[in-house]
Amino acid sequence: MTQRLQDIAASSIASWIPVAILAALPFIVGGSWTFTLGLCFANSIGVLAVSFLVRYGGEVSIGHTFFTALGAYAVGVLDTRFGLSLWASVPLALVLGVSLGIAFAWPSRNLHGIYLAVTTLALALAVPEMINNLDWITGGYEGLYVSTPLVPGVEMGLQRYYLGLAMLVAVAAAVARFRLSRQGMTLLLAKTHPAAADAFGTRRVWARIAVMGISGGIGALCGATLAFSGSTVSPGGFTFWQAIFLLVGSVVSFYGLSLFRVLIGGAFVTLVPQLLSASGAWIPVFYGLSLLGMILLGHYLPRIQKTLARRKGGA
Amino acid sequence: MTFWDTLLYDLFPLIWSGMITGCLYALGALGLVMIFKCSKVVNFSHGNVAGLTAFLVYGLSSGVLLSLSWGMAVIVALLCAVAIAFLIYAIISPLVFESDLTSTIATLGFGLIAQGVTLLLFGADIVALDLPIPRFAFSVFGLLVTGYDLTVLAVAIVTIGALFIVIDYTKLGIAFRAISENPFAAEVCGLNLRSVHLFAWVTAAILGVIGALLIVPTTFLSVTTVATFMLQAFAAAVIGGFASLPGSLVGGILIGVLMNLFTFYVSPEFSSTFLLGIILLALNIFPNGVLQRVGGSRV
Repeated sequence: MTQRLQDIAASSIASWIPVAILAALPFIVGGSWTFTLGLCFANSIGVLAVSFLVRYGGEVSIGHTFFTALGAYAVGVLDTRFGLSLWASVPLALVLGVSLGIAFAWPSRNLHGIYLAVTTLALALAVPEMINNLDWITGGYEGLYVSTPLVPGVEMGLQRYYLGLAMLVAVAAAVARFRLSRQGMTLLLAKTHPAAADAFGTRRVWARIAVMGISGGIGALCGATLAFSGSTVSPGGFTFWQAIFLLVGSVVSFYGLSLFRVLIGGAFVTLVPQLLSASGAWIPVFYGLSLLGMILLGHYLPRIQKTLARRKGGA
Repeated sequence: MTFWDTLLYDLFPLIWSGMITGCLYALGALGLVMIFKCSKVVNFSHGNVAGLTAFLVYGLSSGVLLSLSWGMAVIVALLCAVAIAFLIYAIISPLVFESDLTSTIATLGFGLIAQGVTLLLFGADIVALDLPIPRFAFSVFGLLVTGYDLTVLAVAIVTIGALFIVIDYTKLGIAFRAISENPFAAEVCGLNLRSVHLFAWVTAAILGVIGALLIVPTTFLSVTTVATFMLQAFAAAVIGGFASLPGSLVGGILIGVLMNLFTFYVSPEFSSTFLLGIILLALNIFPNGVLQRVGGSRV
């Protein structure tokens, strides 16, 4: 067990290398790439939120845009209506995400697997409608523009980039720490052996609510980062399809929680629409094919490896 | 007097039209439930595939792709729907026996592909697709009944009746029920799980096409119309307990009527939020569907 913990610690140290590379990137690549990468970091946090729910709760969500919208509008509204910067809005986003995650988890506490997935689907569908109908605060279709700097005097493009990177690293590091913590272990136990967890005093309902709360909080942080790094908040960013794309990102990264894995998922969610923007109809086709490809790969790869290993052993 | 007037002129027509759309939700929900019952997979591609076939009917009959008669176009579209169902099941069948959640996510992938193909073939435009039915209307006790209403009702009754007869009395239907009850025992008895699953997928695809063709005249046809319609079907299936065919019929009609009442009396802008509320409420009060009593322990 200690060996495993050491492995986890070692892998977290190894993930500092890509962080160093990413930190140097704005001085190498152009402004538009800096902007895109900032969005990419934000989406990686969203992918992490979905993967966290899968890993710790064993549940699939296709409604995480609810939480990202929450975080994004916390930032957008505090910025445009009250002139407050991220120092105030990020904590608010986190609190909102966690508490509404819990608020959603309570009525759905006994739902599992497919039933929960369908409920989150309904949640995702309700999001754009809520945003558009609360237009006195959310700005409706037009959305909000986030312009208050985090640190006055520093160039805004760089701020948008580094905030995204810092948030992603902070969240990924926190999740890695959480894996080693007693609470993290408890949640994993509650997922894999509910009866054993029950015997140790962890009720399944409690575990579900905790996982949903944390996942909702991470989702809200994704939204907050998305709002700041992407500079605009509008209902178009929180559609049902966006929620599915987050899940696709999570599947593509094999539900990984490490920095490197979620970056792959986030890059997938961000870059595919950018690269295919000239031919919009291919985006869903490409997403669908990659989703299927990754699922089938996850299914057949272990078998192929086994067959190969057997052949090697026989020869 | 005024109370009775409003009842007569608002409430009854609302309930009537809600029941008509409810029948269509039930058609969609039945397809979802058939697949779920035997293979425990929720088919998220249902709406998009049905939408694609509705577009095929439009394309084949309007001259965009071909200029066939409406009937021929429907037959070709049905064949396409069956072929697509075959293809989807063939690809995900190895996953079905491993993890129902993974195969459910895989159906999302097919939904995305179907949506993309629709966009590629027909673009993002809105088109009109009508049914070749006689236009007439008459009123019964102040209730306006149109030819469309009667068509929907007749088609829904015939389709659902035929489905229930097949499931209750034919060998295939008995096999379907056996596999839904206990797949392992059914396989031990020599039933082929895959062929019964395929029966469910193909039937669901056909129900989807029928539902899509009937719902489109009330609105218009765009890439998202049928997918949106199928979301109500999801809610109907959830209310029915997701594993009960009569339950989804009741759920469909209930959703149709409730949605109609809500949009008329409360607000048309919060219909999806209302749907979310209904789903959460239904799952908490009737975790096994409206037609079943809550029983046993839920550990």
